[in-house]
Amino acid sequence: MIYSDIALDAVMVAVLLDLFIVRSKMMTRGIFWLTYGLILPFQLLTNWWLTANKIVMYSEAEIIGRRIAGAPVEDLLFGFSLILLTLSLWEFFSHKKLSKQN
Amino acid sequence: MAHFHYFFVLAFIGLCAVGVNLGFRIRIASKLQQFLLVDALIIVLYLSWDIWAVFKKSWYFDPNQIIGLQLFGRLPIEEILFFVIVPLMGVLTYSALLKLTGWGATEEAR
Repeated sequence: MIYSDIALDAVMVAVLLDLFIVRSKMMTRGIFWLTYGLILPFQLLTNWWLTANKIVMYSEAEIIGRRIAGAPVEDLLFGFSLILLTLSLWEFFSHKKLSKQN
Repeated sequence: MAHFHYFFVLAFIGLCAVGVNLGFRIRIASKLQQFLLVDALIIVLYLSWDIWAVFKKSWYFDPNQIIGLQLFGRLPIEEILFFVIVPLMGVLTYSALLKLTGWGATEEAR
């Protein structure tokens, strides 16, 4: 169940980075959850497509076995961490640029 | 055409990205450097994980449904594209929703 562990770690890294390291604090902002809420159905759609057509397959030994839209439930953790980290870094560098111009 | 099955998924997301970029006048090209900086960090983190998992066979790809170009002989080129297109779509969705809701303006005023 190594995918489960790493997926959880990825979420923790993303949350720590967002709240305490780059401090974009996206998780405290409604706009982040709105964005994630819009992206999530598209993730489920592509996950379903990729797994139903057996384009991507997962080793059963690496996952807890529960699946959502064809893909391991761990994939939702991965997706969440990816979006949070991306937007958190994006905000961080937006502000960097602003402070340079001032 | 089967070889493009994974690629088509990425092309679909890419088309959505172009649509959002034009439709909401995000002009992401003017922030290309910022995006590349963010994406470089994302790619380092997630592709390391991906390469490691592919070598361990945690997940694997149908050789008949990928283009066949592979990094380190194992990681499909589609996986690299994935970590460019998905973060790009994320940033575009976020930018479009900021425009649509106007929530960004109030938060910057704080």
